[in-house]
Amino acid sequence: MNLFIIWFLTGMAICMTVHGMWKGRGKSHHGKGGHKHGSFLSVDYFAYASEMRKWNASFKMIFAMVCLLLCILLNNIYVSIAVILMMGYLTVVIGGLSFSHYLSMLTVPVVFLIFGTVAIALGFSLDPVGQYRLHVLNLFYIYCSDASLLKAGQLVFKAFGAVSALYMMTLTTPLSELIVVLRKAHIPKVLIELMNMIYRYLFIMMDTHSRMKHSAEARLGYVDFKTSCYSFGQVAGNLLIVSLKRGTDYYNALEARCYDGDLRFLEEKKPLKRSQIVMAAVFVVLLLAIWKITTTS
Amino acid sequence: MDGSEKEIKEKQPILEVRDLYFTYNDEKRALNGVDLSIYEGEKIAVLGSNGAGKSTFFLNINGVLKADRGDILYRGEKITKKRLNHLRKNVGIVFQDADNQIIASTVMAEVSFGPMNLKLPEKEVLRRVDKALDYMNITAFRNRPPHYLSGGEKKRVSIADIIAMESEVIIFDEPTAALDPLNAAILEEVLGKMGREGRTMLISTHDVDFAYRWAERVIVFCQGKIIADDTPLKVFQQEDILQRANLKHPMMYDIYRILKEKGIVPGGELYPKNIAEFEKMVDMLS
Repeated sequence: MNLFIIWFLTGMAICMTVHGMWKGRGKSHHGKGGHKHGSFLSVDYFAYASEMRKWNASFKMIFAMVCLLLCILLNNIYVSIAVILMMGYLTVVIGGLSFSHYLSMLTVPVVFLIFGTVAIALGFSLDPVGQYRLHVLNLFYIYCSDASLLKAGQLVFKAFGAVSALYMMTLTTPLSELIVVLRKAHIPKVLIELMNMIYRYLFIMMDTHSRMKHSAEARLGYVDFKTSCYSFGQVAGNLLIVSLKRGTDYYNALEARCYDGDLRFLEEKKPLKRSQIVMAAVFVVLLLAIWKITTTS
Repeated sequence: MDGSEKEIKEKQPILEVRDLYFTYNDEKRALNGVDLSIYEGEKIAVLGSNGAGKSTFFLNINGVLKADRGDILYRGEKITKKRLNHLRKNVGIVFQDADNQIIASTVMAEVSFGPMNLKLPEKEVLRRVDKALDYMNITAFRNRPPHYLSGGEKKRVSIADIIAMESEVIIFDEPTAALDPLNAAILEEVLGKMGREGRTMLISTHDVDFAYRWAERVIVFCQGKIIADDTPLKVFQQEDILQRANLKHPMMYDIYRILKEKGIVPGGELYPKNIAEFEKMVDMLS
């Protein structure tokens, strides 16, 4: 029965890849614009450029959360693989993010994952124990077993499934829409408004900072280590002063448009499509079925 | 417009400012007794060097800054502290730096901020946002975050912000500063369009050529006071005023004056204001 699930998952992967190739034909340079911003900015850009931005943000968030929870609660390697495949499919094929960008985004958590699981897979001992062992410098053994390897593998896939579900959410939904969802979920208003303003002003601050830094660089401000430290301090201090000064300007601009203490914006309506709900429901049922089949057999 | 109608208009200014004083931090006096009446449909250029009090004056007549002394009357009604929002609703400011004005994280949300604060029903907000985006020709950027817009595009968003509020008086604080020639031309086109629709506008600028060809009335600020308030031609004819405010003659004015002095064009008060009028004058000569 497990063999059947493996074949099923392989088939699923092949279908998704074929669909991706077919959709991606003739646009090999898709998503190239993201490179000019730094790695943190590229997440914002990918989300903005994603085709899945048209989808209802609450739906995406709930779907990602359900998949994440199933990944963790069911603790089943096949379920995890199915989630990884599905999320990758949604982000890359449906969302239109280039596969190389997706992989480079995924490498960030992969490093943490590998370091985290190595400790579980491997053990250290002075005596020769375990199924496989390596004698190091005639002092101690590094050992592992099939069971510990399997456990580590399961953990990697479980965490990876959860991460890919969150990635699907963040790489296809701009932060402003996630904030709207959080607001609907009755997160305190103070936090919501802070998130809104931080998101907007972060970009302005980075812009101001890069301009200050360039002007310092133009005057040899980073010529050696000592000067760099000094310039860094000057730029940071200046940034604070500019922020305080501009804060007043922002407040004036808000008041000029009748600001009364509440930030109110019109929100874009993104209707929920029936096909999307059906897809999500089918997928969740599928995950449960995979879990049922693999645990009972 | 016939005489009687004009008389009524003269009697009822939209905005009346009486003897306005304003001080920053109790020491730096920015406004020093300003008197001004603004009538419906006027196109006013506000000139004056940096720090002359133009921006402070704008923030005062919008109700953001509270004057130390003096009154502001909107349609004959004195603005008290409780009625400040009434003033803010009807007098809109497009700020000099669009980045200082844009607050939301998409263009649509940004333009909706003003109307949402007016507590309008959602349908009306949506109508106004659509209209303002269409007016500024930025419907294509509707869902774009402001940090992926160019400087000129941000400026257009900041103007759409105010158009969506449907303010009666629109103030532009140095709108052409930091715009490239193309965007400046687009902006002037929009200003022309708004002028033809009879909107009341105040524009502060350092570009005397623009003030000369666009405005119907020129106000000159100097050290927190209005030192001249007349038609562009009459203001630019007063040498002492120009000297005090460090202003130059508009190019067209100088060209006509020189031609007139040399006797190349017949004397009189023709004073072409732009290239098209100048060309018409030259055609008339030959």
